[in-house]
Amino acid sequence: MECVHIDFIVCFWSSRNEKENWKVHFYSFAISVEGLSKIIINTGQDIFIEGCDEDNPYVAKVTRLYGDENGQQMKAVVQWFIRVSELPVNKLKLLGREPHPQEIFYYECRNCDNEVNVESILRPVKHLDSNDPFPDSADKDTLYVKLSWDSKVFRVVNSTVVESPAEPAPASSPPSSTPRGPSRRVLPTPDHAIMHKASLGEVGCSSVGTPANVEAESLHSATKLSASKCLSAKRRNATARTPGVRKRLELSSECLHKDFKMQPLCRTREQQGYIYISNTKSSEVENEKSPMVTETPRSSKRKSAMLVSSRIKKQLNLLENHQDPNSSGEEEDEFVPSKNDLLSSSEEEGQDEDGPNIDDQVSAKKFRYVATGSRNSRSKQKSYSSARTQRRTPAKKISPGTPQTPRHATPSIPIRSLQTQQPANILEEARARLHVSSVPESLPCREQEFQDIYSFVESKIVDNTGGCMYISGVPGTGKTATVHEVIRCLQHAADMDEIPSFHFIEINGMKMTDPHQAYVQILQKLTGQKATPDHAAVLLEKRFSNLAPRKETIVLLVDELDLLWTRKQNVMYNLFEWPARRHARLVVLTIANTMDLPERIMINRVASRLGLTRMSFQPYSFKQLQEIIMSRLNKLKAFEEDALQLVSRKVAALSGDARRCLDICRRATEICEHSAADPSSTGLVGMSHVMEALNEMFSSAYITAIRCASTQEQLFLRAVITEFRRLGLEEATFQQVFVQHQALCRIEGLKPIGVSEGLAVCQRLGACRLLLLEPSHLGVLQRIRLNVSQDDIFYALKAD
Amino acid sequence: GNASNRCVYEQPVSFSVSYSEIYLIKCSLFIIHVSVQVQQILRERFCERRLPDRLEGVEAQYKHLLELLRRTAIHGESNSVLIVGPRGAGKTTLLQCVLRDLQKEEKVQKNLLQVHLNGLLQTDDRIALKEITRQLHLENVVGDKVFGSFAENLAFLLEALKKGNRSSSCPVLFVLDEFDLFAHHKNQTLLYNLFDVSQSAQAPIAVVGVTCRLDVLELLEKRVKSRFSHRQIHLLSSLNFTQYLERVWTQLSLPDSFPDKKFAQEWNAGVKTLCEDKSVEEVLQRHFNSSKDFRSLHMLLMLCLSRVSVAKPTIKPADLLEASRMCFADTTANMLHGLSILELCLVIAMKHLNDVYEGEPFNLQMVHNEFKKFLHRKSNSMYNFEQPVVMKAFEHLQQLELIRPVDGSSAKVQREYQLMRLTLDHSQIMEALQKYPQCPTDIKQWAMSAFG
Repeated sequence: MECVHIDFIVCFWSSRNEKENWKVHFYSFAISVEGLSKIIINTGQDIFIEGCDEDNPYVAKVTRLYGDENGQQMKAVVQWFIRVSELPVNKLKLLGREPHPQEIFYYECRNCDNEVNVESILRPVKHLDSNDPFPDSADKDTLYVKLSWDSKVFRVVNSTVVESPAEPAPASSPPSSTPRGPSRRVLPTPDHAIMHKASLGEVGCSSVGTPANVEAESLHSATKLSASKCLSAKRRNATARTPGVRKRLELSSECLHKDFKMQPLCRTREQQGYIYISNTKSSEVENEKSPMVTETPRSSKRKSAMLVSSRIKKQLNLLENHQDPNSSGEEEDEFVPSKNDLLSSSEEEGQDEDGPNIDDQVSAKKFRYVATGSRNSRSKQKSYSSARTQRRTPAKKISPGTPQTPRHATPSIPIRSLQTQQPANILEEARARLHVSSVPESLPCREQEFQDIYSFVESKIVDNTGGCMYISGVPGTGKTATVHEVIRCLQHAADMDEIPSFHFIEINGMKMTDPHQAYVQILQKLTGQKATPDHAAVLLEKRFSNLAPRKETIVLLVDELDLLWTRKQNVMYNLFEWPARRHARLVVLTIANTMDLPERIMINRVASRLGLTRMSFQPYSFKQLQEIIMSRLNKLKAFEEDALQLVSRKVAALSGDARRCLDICRRATEICEHSAADPSSTGLVGMSHVMEALNEMFSSAYITAIRCASTQEQLFLRAVITEFRRLGLEEATFQQVFVQHQALCRIEGLKPIGVSEGLAVCQRLGACRLLLLEPSHLGVLQRIRLNVSQDDIFYALKAD
Repeated sequence: GNASNRCVYEQPVSFSVSYSEIYLIKCSLFIIHVSVQVQQILRERFCERRLPDRLEGVEAQYKHLLELLRRTAIHGESNSVLIVGPRGAGKTTLLQCVLRDLQKEEKVQKNLLQVHLNGLLQTDDRIALKEITRQLHLENVVGDKVFGSFAENLAFLLEALKKGNRSSSCPVLFVLDEFDLFAHHKNQTLLYNLFDVSQSAQAPIAVVGVTCRLDVLELLEKRVKSRFSHRQIHLLSSLNFTQYLERVWTQLSLPDSFPDKKFAQEWNAGVKTLCEDKSVEEVLQRHFNSSKDFRSLHMLLMLCLSRVSVAKPTIKPADLLEASRMCFADTTANMLHGLSILELCLVIAMKHLNDVYEGEPFNLQMVHNEFKKFLHRKSNSMYNFEQPVVMKAFEHLQQLELIRPVDGSSAKVQREYQLMRLTLDHSQIMEALQKYPQCPTDIKQWAMSAFG
């Protein structure tokens, strides 16, 4: 294996955390791979990080580098970018356009680990200004940032956010302390507004929307007396704010208030220096508070930080130049676009900061007649950025809403030409509600199971761990429905930001052609990639075993688990192995019919990994079935009380399958409707209708079939029984039975039939499965068995 | 003859004939025309090419199915149903009639896509899925994309169905003919998915299975069974002989719309007298006893119809008797008529061996010995055949499948010692001997004697 040397070039500061040991913070380091040139990684540089896909490594920007006092654990704190290929496929359409293959998104999700081992860093990369149009010929190492992604919506990124190299971080606690918020909050990102909002979990609106901020801005505008600023401030005030957001802001304003006491309102530039020996808490507070501070100091702080850092970088590059001119050249290039801004004075910077607003005003007329009516137009920054994009790319501007033909079109069933009719009477209404497919508001009678599954999955999501659960139960006991209900509730909770967001994937053993297709389907639903089963297995293995950053918890539902059985059981093994991996964050819920499936078909190592978290759904009792129907009908008076009880008792006695119960009720409404003399005035569904439906569904047709058979067929059945009695066996050849048949014909006074005709009679009975036959090419030698009991035959024939 | 024929064809008008002759020609041309029409109408009926205007005896089932499919088309309600009945009971006819009448309704007309599958054609799920995609015209949407794999195809179709919903998607009717064969597909993937869609809030579909197996539900896997709605429409005809006779009469009679009213009246009167004939009734009773299904009846009537010609424009009782004789003819016994004397002797020897050893299998050597014993006793009419000649005759019998090797006997055994069984019944042998042309008397006597 190649040897990697990591040299720390500049050590800038060290910090002492209350909880942590001494940490050594670095500014820059060089990775030298044996046989290759050195790679220098600086803070603020964009890098590729080793991921599960070799072609598309993760992209991130280094915000901080440090190591513990031994210098053995070298870590980098990064700001992630997300690639197009990493986005969930279903979210891609939110983008509203075809993503550029080299496009990346500023990642604003909180619940991802932003600490990586420096060993996983591959090489530096550069990204371009968010406002640039995509060039035609894409350099593979150049990436484009236009939007940010917070796992729910795309937003336009303030260009300075991405362009500016990050200031070196004040010492902070490692990000694993709590699942939510703090880990990100301590991370100093340049744009505090976005940062702040991300920590608050605000969704949907990227305009700087905190009341404090608006105040601050208006203050600022008062001092600056910039007309455009006023305008924009008003506009921001006008932007829609959801009550939920406001509530949260009120909550957070308390802690902000506390910060005021501790920190001076205005910051001086001395505070932006590179050597910090301060405790984490105060620096954290600083970051928290910063949105409160007027904008000018903030921006100047950032700009000045950039200035200094870029100078240091230049020097570093000069030092390294003789060794690695290429890489340093690249780094030079990287800073070129922002240099003009950086070198300007602070007043000019202020102007620059205001630039967008002026631009905004100027361009407002221009893009009034282009499609700013898209989602983006609500926020100033978005419209600004989109306007600029549009101005620079006229081709796109013409048809922003034109849907491009997607590469993988998924066709759908054609739209119906006529509207569906709404149910006209009570019975039709009842029938619609009783259809298995209609989703009830709640699942009665499964509260306990719901609670168990909910708390299991919720705890795993909150703890960022993984786990397996096995759910068993006979068909029609609500297993899948309950799990879906749990997921729906969890999803709701995640939307309300009560728990971290998660990714739900469902596979079904019956809906795939081969157990190994499970890998393909999981990978496809996870990343949208298509791969062969083997390749997909490798990719998933990598994804779940690496210290993979920025992952939300994945909840995987495996329905009809028994179908995933293979001889080596490797599919099952992997499914249960992955959740146990340290960084996997995978929750696997498996569903199958038999309670003892793990013991019966799984080899020990698979069963052991599945663990003992099991749950079994009992068949519904008659009371539960009754409750289910009642809750579905929802006070609609369509059934007699006794009729419902009869159905539920009958089904509970047979199988406890809720589907069966609903189907019988549905059929009973039909019978009721047809039996009524006057179709407009139908009564309630009564006992007789239910009885008829039950008979239709549960009675066997054998007896009717025997009664309706032709004379010769009936005679043949009798001949079979006679021959069985003679032989004392339950099996005879056609030849033997035929002799009996001839005799019976004579007794009955019928003309004996020929062998061919006899065989035809026998075949007809065989086709109905009243008889079980050997293949017909055996002719008279084929053996015959009965598929009905002899008593049934006697009963059917006697009744004539 | 040839010359004058050519003359008629080439110059049909120009040759001179008397008026009476012209009249005769006109008449015969007209009769030819009429009899062609009769043949056409009745043949269409017997070959089940044309659906009956009205179904008899299955009104309840018709209504049930019609209502069910109508609800799918109009309300977008997903359903599943099985039509079960013995062969020839009219399951497909019922379904076709329902579909025809549904298509007449304006609300339904453009609101129902149909997919017809047959278990005998779509022998596995891969083929079935391809066929579904083709019949739904989904391949057009995909453009030039060719389905790589079965897995992709399944995922693709499920995706398409999943994207639909009750109120906006066009309902799809899936007709699965020979439904029981689909139950033998691996894991019953297709059935599971179809029934699952029909029980979930996806594109509305109706699944109609057609089968003749009464135990079809037992074939379904428990998960598949739970998803099936358990609706079954049974087609079991409880028809009696009078109704059967009526059916024969209606099947043979010409419709009122027949162009030549006079001929139609004559024909219908002829059919009526035919049905009232005692011998005809006897024959039909025998058919009715054997089987109630209409397909075998149509076969019989078709044979009668083929005897109708210009010269004989009615069906006579004798035609029906002849047709019936052909229907009931024992095919295996007929094959015995073509055997040589030696082969016949070998068959008789086998019959005796069967009597002696109570159906135990035999080999060539045993048969030959039995035959030699017969020759030894009274060999005035037969030569003793060489072993290879006997062997040849024996192999010929095997080729005709009149004898069949016992399952377990391996190919390693020498041919003369390979164990065989006779696939003929004794009654067939005796019947064949009666009809065998110029059968030597001593051979007949040998066959009838109790023991060799």
